[in-house]
Amino acid sequence: MTVDVTLNVNGRPHSLSVEPTETVVGILRERLGLTGTHKDCSMGVCGACTVLLDDRPVSSCLLLAPQADGREIRTVEGLERDGRLSPLQQAFLTHGAVQCGYCTPGFLMTATALLEENPKPTRSEIVEAIKGNLCRCTGYKKIIEAVESVTG
Amino acid sequence: MTVGDWKEPEGEKFALGTVEEQARWQAEYHRLVRDTVERERAGRGTDVDVDLRTIGMRIPRNDALYKVRGRARYAGNIEMEGMLYGRFVRSQYPHARILKIDISKAETAPGVKGILTAAEIPDDRLLVGPISDDTPILARDKVRFAGEPIVAIVAETEQQAEAACLLVEVDYEPLETVITPEQALAEGTVRIDPEDGNVITDLHHSQGDIEIGFTEADIILENDFETEPIDHCFLETPAGVAFVDSDDVLTVLVCTQYPHYHHKQLARVTGRPMERVRVVQTVVGGAFGGKMDNTVECASALLTLKTGRPVKIVFTREEVFTATTKRHAMKIHQRLGATKDGRITALDVRNLFDGGAYRSYSMICSGRCVIHAGMPYRIPNLRVRHTAVFTNHAPSGAMRSFGVVKVAFAMECQLNELADKLGMSPIEIRRINGLVDGDHTSTGQTLTDVGLLKSLDAIEPIYEQRQKDLAGQSNGTRRRGLGIACLGYGIGYSGVRNPSTARVRAEADGTVTAFCGTPDIGTGSDTSLAMVAAESAGIAVDRIRVVSGDSTKTDDSGPTSASRTTYFSGNAAHIAGQDFKQQFETAVANKLHAPREEVRLQEDSVIARNERMTFEEACRLIGDEIDGIGGYGKFDPDIAVNILTFEGNPYPTYVFATHLVEIEVDTELGTTDLLKAWCAHDAGTIVNPTGAEGQIEGGVAMGVGQALWERVVRQDGYIMNPHYRDYLLPGAKDVTQEIESIFVDTHDRTGPYGAKGVAEVSLIPIPAAMASAVADAVDARPSHLPMDAEYMLGLLNGNGA
Repeated sequence: MTVDVTLNVNGRPHSLSVEPTETVVGILRERLGLTGTHKDCSMGVCGACTVLLDDRPVSSCLLLAPQADGREIRTVEGLERDGRLSPLQQAFLTHGAVQCGYCTPGFLMTATALLEENPKPTRSEIVEAIKGNLCRCTGYKKIIEAVESVTG
Repeated sequence: MTVGDWKEPEGEKFALGTVEEQARWQAEYHRLVRDTVERERAGRGTDVDVDLRTIGMRIPRNDALYKVRGRARYAGNIEMEGMLYGRFVRSQYPHARILKIDISKAETAPGVKGILTAAEIPDDRLLVGPISDDTPILARDKVRFAGEPIVAIVAETEQQAEAACLLVEVDYEPLETVITPEQALAEGTVRIDPEDGNVITDLHHSQGDIEIGFTEADIILENDFETEPIDHCFLETPAGVAFVDSDDVLTVLVCTQYPHYHHKQLARVTGRPMERVRVVQTVVGGAFGGKMDNTVECASALLTLKTGRPVKIVFTREEVFTATTKRHAMKIHQRLGATKDGRITALDVRNLFDGGAYRSYSMICSGRCVIHAGMPYRIPNLRVRHTAVFTNHAPSGAMRSFGVVKVAFAMECQLNELADKLGMSPIEIRRINGLVDGDHTSTGQTLTDVGLLKSLDAIEPIYEQRQKDLAGQSNGTRRRGLGIACLGYGIGYSGVRNPSTARVRAEADGTVTAFCGTPDIGTGSDTSLAMVAAESAGIAVDRIRVVSGDSTKTDDSGPTSASRTTYFSGNAAHIAGQDFKQQFETAVANKLHAPREEVRLQEDSVIARNERMTFEEACRLIGDEIDGIGGYGKFDPDIAVNILTFEGNPYPTYVFATHLVEIEVDTELGTTDLLKAWCAHDAGTIVNPTGAEGQIEGGVAMGVGQALWERVVRQDGYIMNPHYRDYLLPGAKDVTQEIESIFVDTHDRTGPYGAKGVAEVSLIPIPAAMASAVADAVDARPSHLPMDAEYMLGLLNGNGA
């Protein structure tokens, strides 16, 4: 059995016929070629697969395609504007917030949602926002500093 | 022989993007670096070494541009036309004879294109391993741990391969399971390994006379320490893509710390000449010692040869926990003797390693634990015995520090107890015993450029101030404590020569490439190596592109491990850069018919006969002959250690550090929080401060995990928590942002521009420092890692230690 869904990814609609149990991370990576959204734990703990669903960060490994039908999905590939990095992406670059980079897209999406909702978060609000994203390389300090640097 | 029509996906090794996109990103990177250099130069003033043009600058990483765009080329992101996807059938038993493997149902399952069992692999190609060839690519007659691969299946989709795996029927005859090292050593226990029984290695080392040492002691501390196994938890699970290209080269694109190791191994396993095998490292999503063993490489290669189609295999997180190497569970018994005035007279150490089912890096970790016993202190009388044994657990292997974090945990805890018993400060006891220039290590190596006491000096005033600030504050159920621990760590392989090489070449358009053997595994080493090569060649850092980790394009320079890349490959890049500069200047002089000494390449331009030309102009002047310019650098320090006596010079240099941590224990809940960490490192000259701080901050976070929560829970040979929900990793709320990296002023005379390295070592003192801080806070001494709530409540109730 398949169901027809429309996923609006980075502003572009994609009409797809999917298994009801297909996850959004699988569709992004395998069917739309958007491999910037990474997969790791597949149980909603690590945050590597974070995308924005109607502007809110969610684990796309736990999000079934029918749940996202007709809704807006944003991924790391949609952060640039006219080929230019967003200020947050730029800050990750210059603050050394990127090491192996596998967690980076997830952090960028989580922090993007935070800054859109709350352009001037305090340090503890930043920490609270990113607590669901794991990073094994950086110790988080430079990620937090990067987010802080683009606040208001 | 299978000849494929398969082309490697287009694009840079590290990025997924069109040629136009990549050109745009590169231009963006040039601007970013130029801006950085200009800003840093303006801020440098006149009191710095003006000869150093690039070293010491916060140059942004050259791969971050792809990574922040989500366009980095991790192996799992690579798709190819005609690709098949692989999964493994894994052992259900920790120890069993395999009676029968029936693949008939799987063969006819939907989408299945190839099945590989050990029966198809010739005897002399079946066993692989990084140090000893003892681990079957697929188990044949016997399984030695639950999760060991037995069958590999490729299908049109990953789901089909997974479904087919469930159709494979394996008949087992379960054998006695060996769970603990003590059981492994007991008389009459079943033998796990046909050759060595249950002992992987049994090492002895002594110096001086241990009995005399204890006779001289006024105080003797005798304690046991225990640490649990932990997982690397690199976020990118092992992944690789194998295919045969149109030139009949078996190509494996894989996340690894050591492509050249896989290159040699795959040639043997496939029976191909080495020039018909190529291993290219993809962007590595974290490694920490866990990406130096065979995981997906051999099976994907054999299956692409079998099917004639590209094969991709990506491990699941559960597979990482159950089937990849772990940090050794370890037991340490230590007797430490000292005089009343705090001088160590004797150290007697007995180590026991749970090596798991196969050898992996157990030998290497064991050797390092022996050599580092008593580091970084003067121990006149030392005796070490270290035994590593087989058990029916997943193999234990290399992980950040090769076991030294546990050795340091025991040693530093002992030293802090000694200081307390003698009424000394933890700083004072270390000043009395700490290694200084001219001291000898336990292997008889004479040390130079030792920055240990400088790191103590940096920490001392902070410690004294925090002691005053905290006085009287620790009461009730939330108790604060301060803890100090030091480290000394040898850079590079232990006692085995491990040269690095580098080549620097220019193109007619002025682009320069540095070919370096050691790959960047996420630390930013490619950027550091570009900085060193640029500095030595006299050219701008953004002009240099580093190609690393490609078995065809670069020489075997060993793995990126043992904190060796900055020092070993940095030295190679330095020598190659200088050689390039010499050859380039000579070529310009020849073209101009100018005296050789009147031509200088510096600051990215050429000054010839007092006239300046750009680097591009000079390249054009040299013309076609630029192809003949090849800067070559090889760094191969003379190191050797006798494996029986442990005498010799095992490492070319050592790094040192002192860490101070402030923690708070909740005595009702048993939980511990790290509030602040001060990390003073003797890492030599710092090539890139942003990168070095990143290594320290990440090491502290990993240390917090090992100190407080991380533990692979095993029961009867099965892992009970093979996922992040029950294996707790430190998150942003768990790691303090109050991490202060302090680089003491040291300069290693043998390092590139005086650099030594950071990498692994920032982790080493943290569990010990935290345990000591706990002891300071609650007046009970932890002797077990992790110090989780359960352990702490036992300790606080007087029955944990």
